[in-house]
Parts: sequence; structure tokens; C-alpha cells
Amino acid sequence: MSLDFMFFELGKGFITTVEIFILTLLFSLPLGLLISFGRMSKHFILRLITKFYISVMRGTPLMLQLIVVYFGPYYIFGAQLGRSYRFAAVIIAFSLNYAAYFAEIYRSGIESMPIGQYEAAKVLGYTKVQTFLKIILPQVIKRILPAITNETITLVKDTSLAFVLSIVEMFTTAKQIAASETTIMPLMVAGLFYYIFNLVVALGMEQIEKKLNYYR
Amino acid sequence: MNILEINHMKKAFGDLQVIKDISLSVKEGEVLSIIGPSGSGKSTILRCATMLEKMDSGELIYLGEAAARNNGEGKSVYSSKKDLKRMHQYFGLVFQNFNLFPHYSVLKNIMDAPMAVSKIGKEEAEERAMSLLKKLGLEEKAKAYPCQLSGGQQQRVSIARALALQPKMLFFDEPTSALDPELTGEILKVIKELAKEKMTMIIVTHEMQFARELSDRIIFMENGVIQEEGSPEQIFATDNARIKEFIGKFVG
Repeated sequence: MSLDFMFFELGKGFITTVEIFILTLLFSLPLGLLISFGRMSKHFILRLITKFYISVMRGTPLMLQLIVVYFGPYYIFGAQLGRSYRFAAVIIAFSLNYAAYFAEIYRSGIESMPIGQYEAAKVLGYTKVQTFLKIILPQVIKRILPAITNETITLVKDTSLAFVLSIVEMFTTAKQIAASETTIMPLMVAGLFYYIFNLVVALGMEQIEKKLNYYR
Repeated sequence: MNILEINHMKKAFGDLQVIKDISLSVKEGEVLSIIGPSGSGKSTILRCATMLEKMDSGELIYLGEAAARNNGEGKSVYSSKKDLKRMHQYFGLVFQNFNLFPHYSVLKNIMDAPMAVSKIGKEEAEERAMSLLKKLGLEEKAKAYPCQLSGGQQQRVSIARALALQPKMLFFDEPTSALDPELTGEILKVIKELAKEKMTMIIVTHEMQFARELSDRIIFMENGVIQEEGSPEQIFATDNARIKEFIGKFVG
């Protein structure tokens, strides 16, 4: 086995890994905010539904959720979605799952905001939407960034679960090469890729944290 | 003309009747101080007047316009959201603990509401903010963030923030209670300056000497009712033993 070949194959898988990572963040971060609104809603029913949603998403294996999202449409509606649906199913399942975790992180941040910030905004005449977007959310982001970093790093490693729906991401590739060449070398290299990826993620988040450190 | 009129305000939190039956009014240019022990309902009056809390019963009238009126059963009914939004512009509130927006610079703290709420242009908002900062001696702090300021400076910024919306009157909710005596002085100076300019104000305070010097009228509150109301001379020369005792503790 040439090293070139291994790196080339792992590199292809790595692109898929990054795709899953970016798309999942893109969908789950806003979705999580919506769910956190439901979770903190005045309406009992809405609160109950989102609470149940979060409890199921956090309480069952992500691997099982991937399978349910992929096979669900067939078993429930008899829909034939074909193999091209696999990648979409991975993104949907990951986004739904991570949104649940993000929702709780948002909630922790929003509920930690001092009531005086809302009151000051109200007396100054800000609308509720203005208050949230201009006053509350920017401060919440600063507060929850460390927790978001944690979740994001976990996501990088979780992308390897996509193999369940036979999406060939980096770890799947590594396992295939390892099996055919009877060496654990590719797995180690994959591990290194994950580590470097996460290092970049952590450094990036640290930069954002630093940038937001201009106030206390 | 009365800037503010409160008629028979009642407010309870659960079983606790915090405001029992309070009526008061403030004329244009008048300074009214509310004194009294903690828990007497002073702050609750301000919170109801600024609509941070809803009264259970009673009327709230700004410049002759009713923000809330009693219905047939004697319960407060508030005006439409649109009307209330307009009436919100009649007053400003200065909090005990400032409540500045920590992620905004001093300048932005003052400029943002006029732009976002009153929809005035950026240049005008900045001009207005800078002239207020100048007046309050904080020009060089325009670009600083609240966390870089002393408590007294923060409170001055919060006064500027309220003034930037050009309200008809200002409420102060114990504006110096979070400050040490030295910083207290600088805030009292600002409020005195505003009084000279005939700003209409209601001030909840524990600064007896200050209330005496500055107020046109003083209200002494206890247990959710106005125990005595009058000019500073009347209040400080009262026969009421309880008020004497209370004032005595502060003035020494």
C-alpha cells in the first residue's frame, strides 16, 4: 500500500466528513434556537412537545436515529426515496439530534441573562424582537460559546456514525483500507485527521471567544 | 399641566398587597421624592408607572392620555399596544444597578434606542449622544465599554441613555444605592442639574438630605400607602413620630 494512495482515499472521505459537519451545524444551530424558544414558551403544550423531543433525541442512540430517519419514510408512508436519500438522511438525523443539544445550551444562556437587561430595553421602548436580537442574543452567544465548542467537537467525531447508512466518510474509508491491507495504520492516520480538524475547530472558537472578550 | 397622574393604584404580588391605594400626580417641572423604609412599595410604584409591572387596579395617565383606566369592576385596563408604545416615550427610568448594555460602547448605549425606537438618523443620534456625554462630563469615555467605567460613570451613562430619548419626565429608582458615598455625590450633582433645567422627576431615594434640598414635594410611604405628603419643610418638621424616627436614622 502506498502512502499516497492512503492519504488520497482518506482525503476523499475527509471531504465527506467536513460536508456532514458543516451542513449539520448550518441546520442545527438555528433549529436549536427555535426549539429552545418552544422549550421556554408560555404555552404548556409547546413546552411539553419540545421537552419530549429533547428527551427522545438525547435519550436514544444517534445511530438508531440515523436508521429511523433513513427507513422511516418507507415504513410509515411507503415512500421510495432511493439511495440518494442516504446523505440527506444523515444530515437530517444529525441536525435533529444536535439541535436538541443546542436548544438546551441556548436555554441555559438565555435563562442566565439578568432580567434588568430586558427591563432596560423595555423601558427604552425596544420591541421584543429588537430586544432579543440586539440586546439578549449577542450576550447569550458569548456566554454559551464554550458549551457550543464542546458540542461542535463531539460532532466532528460523531460524523463517523454516517457509516450506518453506508456513507463513505473518512472513518469508513480508514476501516476499509485497514481491512484490505491488514494494518491499523489508516485508522491511526484517520485519528490524526480528526485530531487536527478538532484542533482547528477549537482554535477557531477560541479566536471568537477572544474577540468577544472586549466586554464582561 | 400634570405630566403624570396616578389614581388609586393597587398592586399585589400573590397574597402580598404591596400598593394599597396610592394616588399622586406630578406637574411639569416638578421634582417629587418618594422616601420610606425598604419594602414599603416605593419601587413598585415606579415599576407600575413605567409599565414594567401591571397594576391590578387604578388609573395611569400621562399628559392627559390614559395608559390604564379602571373598568366597571375596578380592574385596570391598559390601552392598546400602539398607544402604550407612544406613551413609553414620555418617560425614562434610571435603575438602581444601571442596567447598561455591556456589549455596547458608551456611545452606542446612548445612540441605539433613539435610532431603533425613535427612528432618528445615525448622525443626529450621535450628535445628541455626544452632547449629552459632554454635559455629563464623559466625552472621553464615548468609546469605552461599561465594564471599564466606575459605578458613578455607569450611572451617568444610564442617565444619558434615558435623556437621549428626550422624555417628558424621568424616574429614578434609588439611583445611588449601588454607589459609595463619593460616587453618590456625582450622581446627585447630575440630578440637581436636571432639576435646575426644570426636568420633571420622581425620585425614589434614601438620600434624605438630597431629597430635602431638591424636592418640591416629598412623599413618605410605608406599608403600601402614602403616610404623609408635603413640602420638604413640612415633612422634615412633621409631628408624625414614625417619620421623625425614619428621617432621624438617615440624617443622624
